[in-house]
Amino acid sequence: MLLQMKGITKRFDGVVANDEISLSVNSGEIHALMGENGAGKSTLMNILYGLLKPDAGEILVDGKVMDFASPLGAIAAGIGMVHQTFRQFPDLTVWENLVFQNEPRQGPFVSADAARDFVRHLGTRHGLEIDPDSRVRDLAVGIRQRLEILKALSREARILILDEPTAVLTPQERDGLFAAMRELASKGMALVLVTHKIPEVIAITDQITVMRDGRVSGTLVTRETNEAEIIKAMVGRNVPPTVATKVTSDASPMLSVKDLSVRKGGVTVVDNVSFDVRPGEIVGIAGVSGNGQPQLISAVMGLEPATGAVGIGGHDISKLPIARRRAAGISYVPEDRHLTGTAPAASIAENIVFGSHRTAAASSRGFLRKDAIRAQARKLIDRFRVKAASEQLPIGSLSGGNMQKVVIAREVEHGSPLIIVEEPTRGVDVGAIEFIHQTLIAERDKGRAILVVSSDLTELLALSDRILVMFEGRINASLSGSDMNEDTVGRWMMGGAENR
Amino acid sequence: MIAVAFDAKSRLAAILFSIAAAVVLGGLVVGLTGANPISVYLEIAKGAVLGRGLDETLARSVPLVGMALAAAIALRAGLVNLGGDGQMLIGGLAAALVALYLPVPGAARAVLALAAAICAGGLYAWLAAILQLSLGIPFLIASLLFSYIARGLTSYLVRYPLRDPATGMPETYRVASGARLPAHILDLPVSMAMVIMTLVAVVIVVNDRSGVNGFEWRMTGLNARFAQYSGVDLSRQTQRVAFLSGALAGLVGALLILGQQYRFTDGALLAPGYTWSGLMAAVLAMASPIATIVTSVFFAALQVGGFSMERALGLPAVLTWVLQALIILCLAARPILFRKR
Amino acid sequence: MLNMLLSQVLDLMTPVLLAAMAGALCERAGVFNIALEGKMLVGAFVAVATSVAFGSPVLAVLSAVLCTAIFASPLALGGARLGGDPIVIGIGLNLLASGLTTYLLGAIFGVTGTLVDPAVTALPRFGVAALADVPVVGAILGHNVLVYLSWLLVLVFNIYLFRTPWGLRLRGIGEVPSAAAAMGANVSRYQTAIVVLAGGLCGLAGAQLALGSVALFAENMTAGRGWIAVVAVMLGRAHPLGIALACLGFGLADAVGLRLQGQGLPNQITDIAPYAITLLAMIGLGLRGMKKKMKSV
Repeated sequence: MLLQMKGITKRFDGVVANDEISLSVNSGEIHALMGENGAGKSTLMNILYGLLKPDAGEILVDGKVMDFASPLGAIAAGIGMVHQTFRQFPDLTVWENLVFQNEPRQGPFVSADAARDFVRHLGTRHGLEIDPDSRVRDLAVGIRQRLEILKALSREARILILDEPTAVLTPQERDGLFAAMRELASKGMALVLVTHKIPEVIAITDQITVMRDGRVSGTLVTRETNEAEIIKAMVGRNVPPTVATKVTSDASPMLSVKDLSVRKGGVTVVDNVSFDVRPGEIVGIAGVSGNGQPQLISAVMGLEPATGAVGIGGHDISKLPIARRRAAGISYVPEDRHLTGTAPAASIAENIVFGSHRTAAASSRGFLRKDAIRAQARKLIDRFRVKAASEQLPIGSLSGGNMQKVVIAREVEHGSPLIIVEEPTRGVDVGAIEFIHQTLIAERDKGRAILVVSSDLTELLALSDRILVMFEGRINASLSGSDMNEDTVGRWMMGGAENR
Repeated sequence: MIAVAFDAKSRLAAILFSIAAAVVLGGLVVGLTGANPISVYLEIAKGAVLGRGLDETLARSVPLVGMALAAAIALRAGLVNLGGDGQMLIGGLAAALVALYLPVPGAARAVLALAAAICAGGLYAWLAAILQLSLGIPFLIASLLFSYIARGLTSYLVRYPLRDPATGMPETYRVASGARLPAHILDLPVSMAMVIMTLVAVVIVVNDRSGVNGFEWRMTGLNARFAQYSGVDLSRQTQRVAFLSGALAGLVGALLILGQQYRFTDGALLAPGYTWSGLMAAVLAMASPIATIVTSVFFAALQVGGFSMERALGLPAVLTWVLQALIILCLAARPILFRKR
Repeated sequence: MLNMLLSQVLDLMTPVLLAAMAGALCERAGVFNIALEGKMLVGAFVAVATSVAFGSPVLAVLSAVLCTAIFASPLALGGARLGGDPIVIGIGLNLLASGLTTYLLGAIFGVTGTLVDPAVTALPRFGVAALADVPVVGAILGHNVLVYLSWLLVLVFNIYLFRTPWGLRLRGIGEVPSAAAAMGANVSRYQTAIVVLAGGLCGLAGAQLALGSVALFAENMTAGRGWIAVVAVMLGRAHPLGIALACLGFGLADAVGLRLQGQGLPNQITDIAPYAITLLAMIGLGLRGMKKKMKSV
């Protein structure tokens, strides 16, 4: 066994992220580590790479017990990691990136020739050719990923962790990556592929470890299993709570998106997307991360240049700036509450009123109605059961769940006919999840149109009246009624057609 | 950009710590040059409040509070205005020109002179903001370079075309007494400049605490992305804040010309270093307007005390400038010292 | 005539060039350094004060380098090592330099304004009388050692940055500190060392300012040159050769200004020239950048 992890346990503030996890990978094996967001995959891999220390358990490489104080220790033991976000210097050349901190020298100088030879040689040896003199910022994502793999290989890695490596790749680039992975395995390396895309796992891996809620929920041999079994292990048996789904109304659409496209750096990240959201329905957008969901929402909000039409209640808003779009009737809960959704140093009351502070309820003649604002904040803190001693406290002092409740409370209170919510419950405790879900359903029942984007499929199934699946920038399925189950949605999330 | 302490109490602790540390370090400097730090500090303290000290402190507070608030409103919205000198000069010159040459009756002339100063100073800062917004030249750099240009330009103008040949100095003619701001109102020890600055300060404090605009500026300073997402037009706001910051600096220039110096003399506006003292006061107050008023009056007292100390002990009054800078450096070092709790 | 102008340009650009190299080193290391003005001033003061005490130009330059490096340490410790705000620290250092030099001028030498002393001599120049009138050659000869050192430093800095392992690491650290740390580089140690080294360079700049063409110290004699150096770093994109070019442009503007002053143009107008030119260059660069952006969309 080249790599063994035994009984790894890790807690954060009493929450168990990894509970007695064991994982073994042989030389020459490609091993999939699967699970939904929050299942504990990243924690486990960060422990393996020396970024986190486990509370219990041990790591063995070649049968020897290891104790990594930092990634440098893991690297020395032959472990390499290809992160989802590349750790590269875009202004430097490929060879400069590759030999950084490990430069071949000629007297006091870097020997550029030796470095170039090294890059070429390394590339040929592993079938991962790359031009040593290219500037990294000019490279396509696939090539940058190749550089990242080469960086790990240049440090004599024998165990290679790839964290969601295909999330950013085109299908062609993905095929190239798989070929390279097989090549590396055939030379005796052990590869760990962290992913939640089932077709990939079936296409390329030998063994599968599935995690759910911090535990191993399945250890499978790829040749002997199938999609259904994997999905079951990932999602669990518990059927999502049934929500009284309303009959989809015939009312005219509140939000209508037509032929919306977003191009970024020459790549079409949102590709001719059209859909409607009607009053009184919750539409969910599902999809594996990296398939264009955030860009779609940014384009609807006017934060990202796009082509195509966006309409609210029949009025075209595609030319309006964000403030006017919000005024036209959109409430928006952004994905990142710290970066975009709040000013953490400002008080809860200020965070609640900001955005509607120019309305008559909050100000008159250019002055804030402070008492009214604070009263409103107290009311919402009460109604949304936010655990906060006072509305005057900085919002940054609240827990993730309470902070998210404040953001949701604010956006719901705008009274806009359309509410767009990104990742409604990411990083939020269980009690708050339940509450946030009920709130959204209640708002729908009041006749609002709600669009939810989530990487948590269970959440989408629980909330949505209809689910649109995004894959590679397109909406490739609109599912409702009996088609709205994890099997079908999951299949479309993985690309759909190829499974038919 | 300016560290925001979460509550008033820890902010106060930080300020007091910085002052105490600077007093110790400044004492060291004094000691190294062979003087007795304790008697130096005693003289400064006495000079700031005793005898005519209080009046002088009050008089010096007017321009200093003005320049400190000019820096503070910009900082509050996330802008670093290093061009206060230039904005003050341009504003002062505009005031002098109107007061000297506009053919309207006295009092109206004073009012128009003030208005001209506000517009000129504001536009001068706005120009720097436009360079940042359209060409990506940092406001901090652009506003500062504009200062050097204003310095040369005004210096040339008062030495040549606008010069009063009767005095041997590089300065304009004297402003007619009708267009001056009264030094005493109703024989009270209160000048018109003081009244105007008090009004401005009140407006700024109220706007910061309760105004819709002040709220938007403050939230932008705390998280510009959140402000944009909440519908604030960042470009327009930056232009507006830059204009107002410059306008206030221009007003300070006008108050000094019309209320104290009565003519534009080359170098006279900048010599006391109001811009930089004001900027330090604003940084020390972490850009809160009320706290800025307190810290800038404190700095004014410190400087007045410094002059008295110079007269009594013969040590350069600029020591107080050293103290101010040390206070700021200690404040910047504070999060470092207190982090590892 | 042309020789004199060129020679003057080379003299005038040197302090700015040295300070700009210091700024560029910090920029490359990822520390925004706006304290160049103050550090130069401290260097100039220390150079003159040492001259008064010991009468030795060599000692003057060395102590200017040493003291300014020490003066830079708050930025090194606060900004590079411990995450203080480099802008606030930079403003603080500039004002401290201005206050401290003026205070010490009065407290130690009993002087306000300008310090001149027979013990203070300008750095010796290397002239070859026979060649003084040969075009270009004459202008290049006849400067003091710091002028030639500044050219040498441009080359050394260029080689250091683009040819040595340490330069490669510095570029990486400045661009993506987290990636550099992940590859095992000690980011804060590098930054601290570079900021202190840059302080020493500013000391040289100050020494050149005080002991180059003149032999005196005047209150706030840097007069914005440190800020022009900050802009030169931006214009030259922190590339040694680009910076040298920007500084040459500044020196030219300054020298032409002085010439025109000799022709009767008021010096208040010619004083503006370096700042106006600097600003115009920034505007030009900004416009070009904007055009490029327009094209790519």
